[in-house]
Amino acid sequence: MRIIYTDVLVVGGGLAGLRAAVGARRRGHDVIILSLVPPKRSHSAAAQGGMQASLGNTVKGEGDNEDVHFEDTVRGSDWGCDQDVARLFVHTAPQAVRELAAWGVPWNRIKAGDREVIMDGKRVTLTEGQAAHGLIAARDFGGTKKWRTCYVSDGTGHAMLYAVSDQAVAERIPVHERMEALALIHEGGRCHGAVVRNLVTGELTAYVAKATCIATGGFGRIYRVTSNAVINEGIGAAIALETGVACLGNMEAVQFHPTTIFPAGILVTEGCRGDGGLLKDAAGHRFMPDYEPEKKELASRDVVSRRMEEHIRAGHGVKSRFGEHLWLDITLLGAAHIDGKLREVKEICQHFLGIDPARDLIPVRPAQHYSMGGIRTDARGHARGLKGLFACGEAACWDLHGFNRLGGNSVAETVVAGMIVGENMADFVESAAGELQVSTALVRECLESEQAKLDTLLHGNGTESGAELMRRMQDIMTDKVGIFRTGELLQAAVEELQGLLVRSRRIGLRTRRPGANPELVTAYRVQKMLKLALCVAYGALQRTESRGAHFREDYPRRDDANWLKRTLATWHDDFQTLPTLDYEALDVASMELPPGWRGYGARNAIEHPATAGRAAEIDAIRAAFGHADRFTVQQALMPFDHLIPSRFRGRNARLGETS
Amino acid sequence: MDSSFDSSGIARPLAPVRPLAEAGRPAVARDTQGRAPTRKSRWPARLDLLQSASGLFLAVFLIGHMFFVSSILISHEAFYTVARFFEGAYFLAEPRPWLVSVVVGVVLTVFIAHAWLALRKFPANFRQYKAFSEHKAMLRHGDTGLWWIQLWTGFALFFLGTVHLYGMLTQPELIGPYESADRIWTGSMWPLYLLLLFAVETHGGIGLYRLALKWGWLEGRDPSASRRRLRIAKTLFSVFFLGLGLVSLLAYVQLGIAHADKAGERYVPPRAAVVKLGELEFALSRRPGG
Amino acid sequence: MMTKNTTKGPRALTLRILRSSPSEGVTPHWQDFHVEEAEGMTLFIALNEIRETLDPALQFDFVCRAGICGSCGMLIDGKPGLACRSLTRDLGPVITLAPLPVFELIGDLSVNTGKWMRGTAERLETWIHSTREADLTAVETPMEPELAEAIYELDRCIECGCCVAGCGTLRMREEFVGAIGLNKIARFRLDPRDERSDDDFYQLIGDDTGVFGCMSLLACHDVCPKGLPLQTQIAFLRRKMVASGV
Ligand SMILES: Cc1cc2nc3c(=O)[nH]c(=O)nc-3n(C[C@H](O)[C@H](O)[C@H](O)COP(=O)(O)OP(=O)(O)OC[C@H]3O[C@@H](n4cnc5c(N)ncnc54)[C@H](O)[C@@H]3O)c2cc1C
Ligand code: HEM
Ligand code: HEM
Ligand code: SF4
Ligand code: F3S
Ligand code: FES
Repeated sequence: MRIIYTDVLVVGGGLAGLRAAVGARRRGHDVIILSLVPPKRSHSAAAQGGMQASLGNTVKGEGDNEDVHFEDTVRGSDWGCDQDVARLFVHTAPQAVRELAAWGVPWNRIKAGDREVIMDGKRVTLTEGQAAHGLIAARDFGGTKKWRTCYVSDGTGHAMLYAVSDQAVAERIPVHERMEALALIHEGGRCHGAVVRNLVTGELTAYVAKATCIATGGFGRIYRVTSNAVINEGIGAAIALETGVACLGNMEAVQFHPTTIFPAGILVTEGCRGDGGLLKDAAGHRFMPDYEPEKKELASRDVVSRRMEEHIRAGHGVKSRFGEHLWLDITLLGAAHIDGKLREVKEICQHFLGIDPARDLIPVRPAQHYSMGGIRTDARGHARGLKGLFACGEAACWDLHGFNRLGGNSVAETVVAGMIVGENMADFVESAAGELQVSTALVRECLESEQAKLDTLLHGNGTESGAELMRRMQDIMTDKVGIFRTGELLQAAVEELQGLLVRSRRIGLRTRRPGANPELVTAYRVQKMLKLALCVAYGALQRTESRGAHFREDYPRRDDANWLKRTLATWHDDFQTLPTLDYEALDVASMELPPGWRGYGARNAIEHPATAGRAAEIDAIRAAFGHADRFTVQQALMPFDHLIPSRFRGRNARLGETS
Repeated sequence: MDSSFDSSGIARPLAPVRPLAEAGRPAVARDTQGRAPTRKSRWPARLDLLQSASGLFLAVFLIGHMFFVSSILISHEAFYTVARFFEGAYFLAEPRPWLVSVVVGVVLTVFIAHAWLALRKFPANFRQYKAFSEHKAMLRHGDTGLWWIQLWTGFALFFLGTVHLYGMLTQPELIGPYESADRIWTGSMWPLYLLLLFAVETHGGIGLYRLALKWGWLEGRDPSASRRRLRIAKTLFSVFFLGLGLVSLLAYVQLGIAHADKAGERYVPPRAAVVKLGELEFALSRRPGG
Repeated sequence: MMTKNTTKGPRALTLRILRSSPSEGVTPHWQDFHVEEAEGMTLFIALNEIRETLDPALQFDFVCRAGICGSCGMLIDGKPGLACRSLTRDLGPVITLAPLPVFELIGDLSVNTGKWMRGTAERLETWIHSTREADLTAVETPMEPELAEAIYELDRCIECGCCVAGCGTLRMREEFVGAIGLNKIARFRLDPRDERSDDDFYQLIGDDTGVFGCMSLLACHDVCPKGLPLQTQIAFLRRKMVASGV
């Protein structure tokens, strides 16, 4: 029995996991990171466009601050997010950018003087002030009032991941690569670590830890057409679900990105549109202003994706042998801009489409992109239902994003959450609750039970093919649990997925090699992924409203009266074929920004009974604090300082702001 | 838990392990790994520079050398004049062949130094040799192939060059139209020269090209375009000097055949040439310090 | 997703793959797989098709399948490259695939680049070395926009290992840091936030396993899928290190 002890176990070597690990390590604790792949290969590296933080350096970002970022985030989430968390996040994001700057991220910088940009299809000259010269620049992204997205050309995630990963090396944090967490070790509501499979040798090891953090990223691969990496299979979320005590939040909230190249599904950044790119149809007509006269191409992602699909349905798509698509036109940005600021996009177009985006239009169509749902945690990143388990990054439902995440808020979330959860884990480890008390019997039991499951697959007489089930699941999800959802389709999806789940218990393998065996990996993963798919599909079926990315054609209105609540999915025993769903109401009475219109998209929400009262209350508070600064007012509306780890409490300085 | 790969064990050398982290360290990693107490030697830098300098010296020397040797194409007297020139005939009272030996000695030293320095780059054992040759065959990459050529030509030069230089060192007085031609033809040295010529011109051409890339000379605005131009220049260099050398060698061979029956006879310049020589002598002797 | 080509039918492709499984003592041998070419087919698609339909045990590494993560480096017809972004239409009807050399072989086309890269990072200390603690709430230190872009130019390396596999020097002498290592040093040297001096860098790469070991073979430069300016960076570094060392 191989057991490794550590203070903190971080499952996942993406931005979130690495930053959390560095935080805990700097507090003096032993940390081990597990990752399926070398950390720098994590899908965080794929983030092209940028990271939101209200530095307010550029002219188009003037006047930006935490308050504006907060509002954008809450509106973007369609009021589904946790506003405490959103506050915590917008407060810490500028610090995260600046920390990354100190760690070597080569953020694009502002050049003082005139500069030509494309806005709304027209050339505009912007003049940057002398004082801003050399400070971190920002670009425009969908769903934001200000230019707030800090970027490194279009390799932002790459640059960030490398900087943070290098810090982890500097801290000498061991990373055990090609290791996959298969199950959590837990008892009596306390998590003690994980059972981990070595993907090369097939050996199982128990990692026993005082605090365990899941930062395994998204689960886009339950869909057929997705911008996600092939390792984004959500096993981290699934093993939390399989504990039967931890729960997954808002799994039906799945984001579709408007512009992935067709048909490969590889993403081209929102920065293309932020920098002035346009969406066009078969006739070469720019159609977004017809639907969204105000925000046009830069409405939030759920809106743009839906409008695109709507436009295709209306018969304006470009027909090709793989199906229909639309065009993204960035030719108007010019070769120089594309070579400098959109290089990855250019490479992707060259290598996967054989076109030059400076001259040709890019075929695009929306694809699954981001999982707002995940392991439900509190504002400290502590998982609900399981002490000692933390989660952060895309794997978590800390609930910054509600039902739609803004572009650029995700990589920002990973680092911010990493900073916060790292500190909180250290606090936990140092507290009495953090003491390690686990019996080797429990560990042995967990190891044996996982080994038994693998042995059943390896040596059992199942006949089903894992690859086949995987393909079916992905097709069902893309066809029936996609951008436009209906009760009928969802019902069918749930039933078919249940069928697949039952079949998945009888998978048989052709390759019986215990070690590096991709067939075995597919087999046990699809068993877990089907559970996630069911949480998504079933959650979507139950939620009879439209909110953010979750759009029900049969219930097209946002229904705050009945659905201003978070879905919580648990999976109590292995023989269930459906998750148990619970709901957690959002407290309108404590919101800093009560539900309203998002500023784009439909304006037809069914109001929550408490909304009007809270709005009046807020008005009263604002009136009472007439002359106070924004911090004091905010404090009166919704205090959140107690949630910030002490080292991040200071106020963010800004160029034009003296506070 | 200080090794970074508990599961696999690190194969590459690690920096020394530093003590465990203390709480509340700054947000930027310090120079924490702790330097190895011994400073790195300066010799690798010097040797690298010397390798290039010696190569450059030899290459430049060879350019001059080829022009001198090919003066046979102008006339016997011209070559004779050049040969006597290097014996100091025009500075000193009389030609002193040992002067040539001294020059040869210097060149030989550089030659040996260069060979020794370059030898560090040779495959050190059969495993390395095999790894490289397999790699080269698989990759089919231009510059990798060039290095392989340089390696082999360098290897050949080691022997060929040494024989030639030894001859020049020990018999410096036997340089002249007939003497050289006899050595080449009657003395059966022409196959050696032929090989030497091919080896050295390829080696030198590639060497100069690689020297430019290695140190980033002539990079210009567009380094890849410059690299293409350098490649062309390199080929032209080799072709030109090969051509020149071959024609000269042919001239020696012809002269050698014609002079075969009188082999061993020293060349005596005709009168006209001596007169001319006298003038030259006069002119040269007026140079300051001459 | 096979498509009918109107003029001539889709090509029949042969993927000749170097199979091996060191853990099971299976030594390298070639095995042919036949797939029908499809429109826009990449090696990522072809290899997955083989795994799904012909041999579920075939090992290879893909993560992003978009040419950005550096996982899928392999020898494609003898040349190191990223498989995910290699379109089959740019290759002949017989495509040979072999794992990258130098790196520890895991099996078939899968090699342990991560371990090598981590070793390099530790050996060359590839992180910002600073003695000042950053004040996270203060306005950041300005940097010239051009400098930031120049740093990013060198920061774009995805650690795919193609340059390592392409370098004949490294094939002979595995302790050589390789172009990737030298590029990293060039990157941190350029970064004003890193307080190390040339002398410090000399301690790291001032010998024949470092910059002086490079024999300017330039395959690194020619195979780098990200087009990093390795040729000029290594030359530059050599000048600096000689200046610092001599
Ligand atoms: C193409 C693309 C572009 C994007 N662009 C942007 C953008 O411009 N701006 C933005 O804000 N966001 C963007 N996002 C979203 C953002 O990149 C991700 O949400 C974020 O990087 C996720 O980071 P993470 O650390 O949570 O997870 P990841 O980076 O996905 O890391 C997950 C880690 O977990 C490990 N892991 C997974 N399962 C296991 C297991 N069972 N055991 C052990 N280890 C495991 C993996 O090896 C990996 O190291 C983009 C996403 C995509 C797909
Ligand atoms: C014994 C004879 C010689 C041997 C064994 C030899 C070998 C080599 C080798 C192996 C290299 C490659 C070194 C490297 O890649 O780092 C080299 C480089 C070079 N050689 Fe030679 N060589 C010899 C003679 C000559 C001569 C006669 C010349 C003059 C034309 C010459 C000119 C050069 C030049 C210019 C270089 C490039 C230097 C560098 O890369 O630093 N070499 N030699
Ligand atoms: C100071 C040193 C040298 C002297 C004095 C010298 C002199 C000569 C002379 C006189 C000849 C004519 C043939 C003969 O007389 O044998 C000759 C030919 C030649 N030498 Fe040298 N040499 C020197 C160094 C070198 C070196 C270092 C090389 C290269 C490694 C070299 C390569 C050649 C070649 C290739 C020829 C044949 C030329 C032809 O084809 O026309 N020499 N040299
Ligand atoms: S330098 Fe280029 S080839 Fe080498 S690892 Fe980096 S990206 Fe790959
Ligand atoms: S291929 Fe190798 S020898 Fe140097 S120039 Fe590149 S590292
Ligand atoms: S799979 Fe990421 S680069 Fe090929």
